[in-house]
Amino acid sequence: MRPDSSPRPDPRTARASAVRTAAEADRGRALALCVAAWLVPGAGHLLQHRLGRGLTFLFVLPLMFALGLLFDGALFPLTPISSPLTSAAALAERCIGAPWIATAVAGWGRGDVVSPTYEYGWVLMVVAGLLNTLVVLDVYDIALGRK
Amino acid sequence: MPSHFLFLLIFSVLVSTVFAVLQKDTVAEQVRFALTMTAGFVAFAIAAGWLMRLFPL
Repeated sequence: MRPDSSPRPDPRTARASAVRTAAEADRGRALALCVAAWLVPGAGHLLQHRLGRGLTFLFVLPLMFALGLLFDGALFPLTPISSPLTSAAALAERCIGAPWIATAVAGWGRGDVVSPTYEYGWVLMVVAGLLNTLVVLDVYDIALGRK
Repeated sequence: MPSHFLFLLIFSVLVSTVFAVLQKDTVAEQVRFALTMTAGFVAFAIAAGWLMRLFPL
């Protein structure tokens, strides 16, 4: 019987490679969950079996955005050169995901600057988006086992 | 005429709820945190409102 001429893999290298592959898979899964959490507030938690948190975010964040619309809040345009602050608010609003997409597609959120509740409206919409950003970061931490 | 206090209360309760659920693990802790934060929002807004009376328009 001839001895095997191929070199045997070093077990330490093989283990490190397996750990790296697992970490990359975890990171990929975490990023997919983040996209889900951005698109539907609370979905990232629900997909990780955090039912209470997920349902709370699913209810509260779209409610904030909807109340903002009801209070005559506006969807801000992205105009980074002419108005960077407006663009920052526009980016924040986009962080809420599906509610923003639905509002933009439906053509709502034109805003009424003379309405007494206009300021409350856009602040609620912007803050809903920013809070969803925190929710997305929480989803990432949970997915990587940091929480 | 819309009530500014009502809008403040709505905003405070919603934001506090999200922060409480994010920050705390048990329901009791979350409720306590949300109530404290809501009270803080309202108290700070009222205090800031009174302080702003000192400034001329």
